[in-house]
Amino acid sequence: MSIATHALPRVLTGAGPRPLTLQQHEEFFGPAHMRRDLLDELGRSGLTGRGGAAFPTAVKAALLRDQHARKKFVVVNAMEGEPAAHKDYTLASVNPHLVLDGALALAGAIGASHVAICVAREKTVMINHFERAVHERERRGSLGVTVEIHTPPGRYIAGEESALVHWLDDNETLPQFRPERPSILSIGRAPVLVDNTETHAHVGLILRYGADWFRSLGTNASPGSTLVSVSGAVARPVVLEIALGTPIGEILAAAGADTSPRALLLGGYGGTFVDGSAVSTPYANELLRPLGASVGAGVIVVLPQQSCGITETFNIARWMANESARQCGPCAFGLPALAESLGHLAVGGRDAKDALALIRERSAVINGRGACRHPDGVVRLVQSALSVFADDAERHAAGRPCAYAGQSRFASVPRLELEHELVWE
Amino acid sequence: MKRRNETLILRVDPILCDGFGHCAELAPEIVTLDEWGYPIISTAPLGAARSTSLRSAQLAVRGCPRQALWIEKVEQRN
Amino acid sequence: MIAFTTPYLWYSSRATGIVSLVLLTVMIVLGALVSTRVGGRAVGRFEINEIHRSISMITMLFVAVHVGTTVVDSYVPIGFFSALVPFTSGYRRIPVAIGTLAIDLMLTVWVSSLVKDRIRNVTWRYLHWLSWACFAAADLHGFLVGSDAHRTWMIILQVICVAAVVAAAIWRITQRPTRAAGRTAHSPLAGSGQVAPKKTPPAGPRPLAKSGGRAIPPSAPRPKGSRR
Repeated sequence: MSIATHALPRVLTGAGPRPLTLQQHEEFFGPAHMRRDLLDELGRSGLTGRGGAAFPTAVKAALLRDQHARKKFVVVNAMEGEPAAHKDYTLASVNPHLVLDGALALAGAIGASHVAICVAREKTVMINHFERAVHERERRGSLGVTVEIHTPPGRYIAGEESALVHWLDDNETLPQFRPERPSILSIGRAPVLVDNTETHAHVGLILRYGADWFRSLGTNASPGSTLVSVSGAVARPVVLEIALGTPIGEILAAAGADTSPRALLLGGYGGTFVDGSAVSTPYANELLRPLGASVGAGVIVVLPQQSCGITETFNIARWMANESARQCGPCAFGLPALAESLGHLAVGGRDAKDALALIRERSAVINGRGACRHPDGVVRLVQSALSVFADDAERHAAGRPCAYAGQSRFASVPRLELEHELVWE
Repeated sequence: MKRRNETLILRVDPILCDGFGHCAELAPEIVTLDEWGYPIISTAPLGAARSTSLRSAQLAVRGCPRQALWIEKVEQRN
Repeated sequence: MIAFTTPYLWYSSRATGIVSLVLLTVMIVLGALVSTRVGGRAVGRFEINEIHRSISMITMLFVAVHVGTTVVDSYVPIGFFSALVPFTSGYRRIPVAIGTLAIDLMLTVWVSSLVKDRIRNVTWRYLHWLSWACFAAADLHGFLVGSDAHRTWMIILQVICVAAVVAAAIWRITQRPTRAAGRTAHSPLAGSGQVAPKKTPPAGPRPLAKSGGRAIPPSAPRPKGSRR
């Protein structure tokens, strides 16, 4: 066993120019043996989902285990629709076999006969890595379950678990309305367990080393390690594996990012802005909650002093509005309206004053009225931006935009697609 | 069957809803429309059986062209 | 079978036929008004919907009397069977068949509305569009077999009814009021002049399972339209 307790890296062990082969993987970690008490062990470990919602993995899996169905699916959500996140890509490039270990173990634990690895169809490198890994395993011997790789269109919303399952079920990446929680997603009549790539990787390690090992890093409420994607004011966007509870400033330093930033965007593009003083806060959900933020998908976007928070927010909001599935009125109409008002505010022209009031009104109206949490995320982004950049907002509204307004340099978004180019199926 | 002392609220399926606005006309004390014509539904519980707000809500449920509304019992959390 | 005939059966059949046509016209126009969200100021939208629903019952009543008097009247050999199954009438087979078709379509629309709670909303909506075909069939039937079809007042009435339905159709098509999916009132790219080459997405793999029971209707991208 080459993984020592209290040490990093864990899931990123063996990172090199090429993904680990099956043989190398087993040299590092030893073979994976199914254990009957996997769900109990996961429960004791306190592992929570690494896709953003941080739901206890063991609870979710137990719900599926208790379903009576002939056919069950385990889905590996490797969509990574979040533009500022690169951790799933990194995992696939370092060790796809660890992810497979976790998926196969969970399949065994809940009684699933099928594993579906879902990668955005544009991410051909990731697809190749997974295909090679699955092929290696199949060549070695029967897996016992059917493992398939599926490639939905790479929309932001396609990574949302109900949208992903909807695509698997009916070929459309549209989120589903789930009024009752907890609710089980299904493909046809087969219930589905959806977990993020990184979650599966951690399961692959807990399977071998147990809950106590997992808890030897991190805090009591947020145990273990997690992958963080740092972008923005950093030489190169980088993915690090860190122990939960590490002060944010240390993470920024390790990433080579600006350690006295103006502000940070935590969680993802549907996350929360926090002031630069948050660098002293440990990176763990229970300690970020007082700031109104959360770990989310492990995204940290660093905005330096020489940046315009309003412009960055506008850039993100405009792209997020375009990524709406347009199923629900408040999101389909409200988000573009919010983005438009943010644009007026960013420019700081005649409309800026009304724009600020409109943003406040509209974000309150839009919140919570969609079928999924997409509009809520944008509202959270915008409201936190108005709070953290309150002075800037007032100045912009008064027609005096800051010196850095006009060009978004730190929050990068993919090219805005025209409506007829959007692919949902 | 809705009994007298249950807490009931009106709920909408935002995907089915297409902004016809009949609910706001039939139950104006419960539903208002946002600037794009979509319903904002009050979370205050509907009155007891035979109260006007429950009756309005029932009319709204029946009148919705997309059948996007329903009345739900709320779990009491103490 | 009792041979029974009286001119009053024939008069009733003619009269109720004409009234049914007029009522059908009113139904179509009201239906188009409901789906295009007309109203909200002087007349409530829900009121137009309620009138639409109520008049449908009166329409069906008149149609029932029209069919009933025709079937009962032994002067023309049209039995009850021919009222539901087209091309089985002994009298003016094709025009009656078209009328039978109209009845079948109307029954389909009616039954689908009766079970509206139990079927998917999309299914109901697609079936409901058959009412346009129902009007076309009913109008053509009246034109071909109507005893008064050649009279001036009937021709004028026909023109009015057809014009009203065509206007309703044009109104319905040009208003484009349907789902939010595929359209945004203020798209972030509205008027931005961005032009990008259109990419054809590679064909995705087939879904794992075709579901039938999910409550989510399929959404096809719709053209942009402003709702304000």
